[in-house]
Amino acid sequence: MADDDQTRDLPLEEPEGESGGGGPGEPAPQTPEGEPTHELPPAAEEPTREQPAPAAAPGPRRLKRSRDDRLIAGVCGGLGKYFGIDPVIFRVAAVALVFLGGAGALLYLAAILLVPDEGSDQESGRSLSQRGLAITGVVLLVVAAGAIFSHGPFHFWPAWPLGFLLLFGLAIWWLATAERPSGGTTGGDAPRKTGQRLLLGLLVLVGSAAFAIGGAIVAGAWSTTAAGIAVLSVAVMVGLGAFAGFGRWLILPALAFAIPVGVVSAAGIDLHGGAGNREYNPVSTQQLRPSYRVGAGRLMVDVSNANLTPGDHPLKLRVGLGEAVLVVPSNVCVATKAHAGVGNVERFGESHGGVDVDFDDQPPAAGTNPRIVLDADVGMGQVLITHYREDAFDHHRGFHGFHGEDQFGPQANTGCEVR
Amino acid sequence: MPRARLDIASIVAAVGVAVLGLLVVLDGQDVLSLHFAVLAPLICATVGATLLAMGLTRRD
Repeated sequence: MADDDQTRDLPLEEPEGESGGGGPGEPAPQTPEGEPTHELPPAAEEPTREQPAPAAAPGPRRLKRSRDDRLIAGVCGGLGKYFGIDPVIFRVAAVALVFLGGAGALLYLAAILLVPDEGSDQESGRSLSQRGLAITGVVLLVVAAGAIFSHGPFHFWPAWPLGFLLLFGLAIWWLATAERPSGGTTGGDAPRKTGQRLLLGLLVLVGSAAFAIGGAIVAGAWSTTAAGIAVLSVAVMVGLGAFAGFGRWLILPALAFAIPVGVVSAAGIDLHGGAGNREYNPVSTQQLRPSYRVGAGRLMVDVSNANLTPGDHPLKLRVGLGEAVLVVPSNVCVATKAHAGVGNVERFGESHGGVDVDFDDQPPAAGTNPRIVLDADVGMGQVLITHYREDAFDHHRGFHGFHGEDQFGPQANTGCEVR
Repeated sequence: MPRARLDIASIVAAVGVAVLGLLVVLDGQDVLSLHFAVLAPLICATVGATLLAMGLTRRD
């Protein structure tokens, strides 16, 4: 690529008096080493002597990073030249933006990668594509750093769809640029090679989707440890591929396998326990089991008709993917310790959603009321504690009835001592 | 026979995936608890560093 750039950088017109000649009777043009060249017929150079070639139309003014007015990478100096303004103004603005949420640093990094350096020519498709990859990488790294330093799981939540959109768009762009490892496409081969590339990319995407589903199933239904070892093995393969020359073809499948394994592990999704909708309606303390589990689906334990004895009744609900519902009468107190890897914990209309949701409230029972000590864990989905099961599964109204002011009136943990 | 050049992007991806795999193994063994607050930045950092390496290195 550098050679190509140098070729394009050759001056189109030579200054008067420095021309290599070429006119009748003049010596043939020579290379810098003094050897005559015969690549161009003399006629080809006639216009430059007698009839100067028309000057190339001036292109649009390009923003470039300044080389002679730079403190870091010449971005602000280039902006100053471009707009004809003192670059100090841009420097002050950039510093201010760095301290106002870090946007200045992100923009500066993007400008370093996106804006060409003064005196360079980086306009080929390869350069654009590679800079696109680099910019995306920097953006993701900045997002990662922001998530790490914010120490807040909810802070990161909105970045997920953005990140996926970014990656999806990048994949489409990469596939559509028709780059070849050994160079760009040319002439009539371009459509055919682009088609081949799209087909290959589609196969890679489909294969990666299969890897993703496989990784999630291995981690959720088999063993987290085994899935982790499989991810380590994949990492070794990619590492070996880096030395053997095929590592890049393994990157996407490797990430497609590893990321779902990590998500399933972080969410605590456990598909053991089967799948489907299960409902339990114990009517006595003896019938209330200490633990219920469903791998994927809906698990409902309804104790609204149970005659529970005073005292604590431990109850463990485990759902890998889906919903765990506990329905209690108004005279039963519920002490709740609930976790949702990704999703929602809702107790009597009080809702907490997001990632890594932990809810812990252990009120004492009022008087001689029975108290259910609930330990609920849903990997991905919802934990729901309510008084009204009828409304819970009214498919026409959804879960609207749980959010307080409804025909049932505001919900509350009425069996507990008022604090 | 020409020797294949070391691909930095693949090395970066391999290291990131290896770290992820190690965390999953440790989570499976209850040595630590893997949460999204850790996983999400790790995924972003791995993908971001890989893309950055791909963008800054030539493929041919």
